[in-house]
Amino acid sequence: MQTQDLVTIVPWTFIAQICNLFIQIFLIKKFLLGPIRKVIEKRKMLATEELDKARESGAQAAAMKEEYEKSIADAKSEANEIIAIANRTAEARADEILRKAAEEAAALKNKAAADIEQERKTAVNEVKDEIGSMAMEIAGKVIGREISEEDHKKLIDDFIENVGDKK
Amino acid sequence: MEIEVTGARIFATIPTGIPILGDFHITETLVVSWIVMAVITGLCIWMTRGLKVENISKRQAVAEWLVELVDGFVGENTGHKPQFKRLVPFIAALFATSVVSNLISLTGLRSPTADLSTEAAWAIVVFIMITAEKFKSMGFVGYWKAFTEPIFLMTPFNILSELATPVGMACRHFGNILSGIVINGLLYAALAYLSAKLFGLIPGAVGKLLSQIPFLDVGIPAFLSVYFDWFTGVMQAFIFCILTLQYINNASEG
Repeated sequence: MQTQDLVTIVPWTFIAQICNLFIQIFLIKKFLLGPIRKVIEKRKMLATEELDKARESGAQAAAMKEEYEKSIADAKSEANEIIAIANRTAEARADEILRKAAEEAAALKNKAAADIEQERKTAVNEVKDEIGSMAMEIAGKVIGREISEEDHKKLIDDFIENVGDKK
Repeated sequence: MEIEVTGARIFATIPTGIPILGDFHITETLVVSWIVMAVITGLCIWMTRGLKVENISKRQAVAEWLVELVDGFVGENTGHKPQFKRLVPFIAALFATSVVSNLISLTGLRSPTADLSTEAAWAIVVFIMITAEKFKSMGFVGYWKAFTEPIFLMTPFNILSELATPVGMACRHFGNILSGIVINGLLYAALAYLSAKLFGLIPGAVGKLLSQIPFLDVGIPAFLSVYFDWFTGVMQAFIFCILTLQYINNASEG
């Protein structure tokens, strides 16, 4: 087979190789650089988007945290207030109860005393009547005559009065 | 024993009848160039198949790495000037073609870069780009005036040094690849000769048969090919591209 010289520049090969180089540039651009650049560009855009989103959500989270902290603080002060009110109410209630109890006790005591007094009076009256009639009977029998009840009534009353007071 | 290192084979001749250019020869250089182009383009298509934005495949990672590598390479050698970003496809094509052309000799094909026509074609393109950049930075008059500086006497030398740029680039690349081919040819022949002598020592028909087979050609040349094919092949492509960028960058600085 025919061969060309070892060191030579063949015009047609020279021209063809220039063309080949430019065709190769076009092919590499179309099949490697173009698609890869497009993908990298897309990824960059996506990354920027994601970053923006992350920043936004970070700001949101910070705002939410602030709000949360504020509401926690609010809740705390509210709770303190409620406890204070409850304490105050409880104290007032306790005082009221104590006061009422004391009042009741006093009333009871008064009533009891009045009752006792009443009882005593009733008892005294009864005894007075009984003793009076007994004395009249005894005196009648002793003297043998009817003594005027009217005369001695006063005497007897005085006696009983003294007896009652002595008790 | 005879060793012959020849130029590229001519497969077919298309007569054109054009005076200076002569007939169009479809040579080994051209055919292998087309194979190289097909390989590069095929690799590009294969690597960029099913590109994704997330969860990328290894293929895509390699492709992206390569693109960024070329971007970085061009940026570093042109001082990161934005106007030279347009050189990226050119450098990518030049480097890929050069490397694959150099390494395709490993498959037994003849490298297109073992033909000075190829390197001359690349060098002339680079030369035109350098000159265009000089016109841009110095202006038409300034460009021609620069040849007479610092003194008029220097003009012939200045013209020579200007022309030496593409010639030097082409010949450097070509020479390195050719020397690899020549040394490889010598080595194969020498090892075959040694093999024949060695196995010829065996008496009788066995020795005659074995001496016909160049046993020593198996394996040993592979070690040399690490330097002459792999190292030189990548290195020359690299140097050619670096020089291209540096010359163009220098030209733009006037």
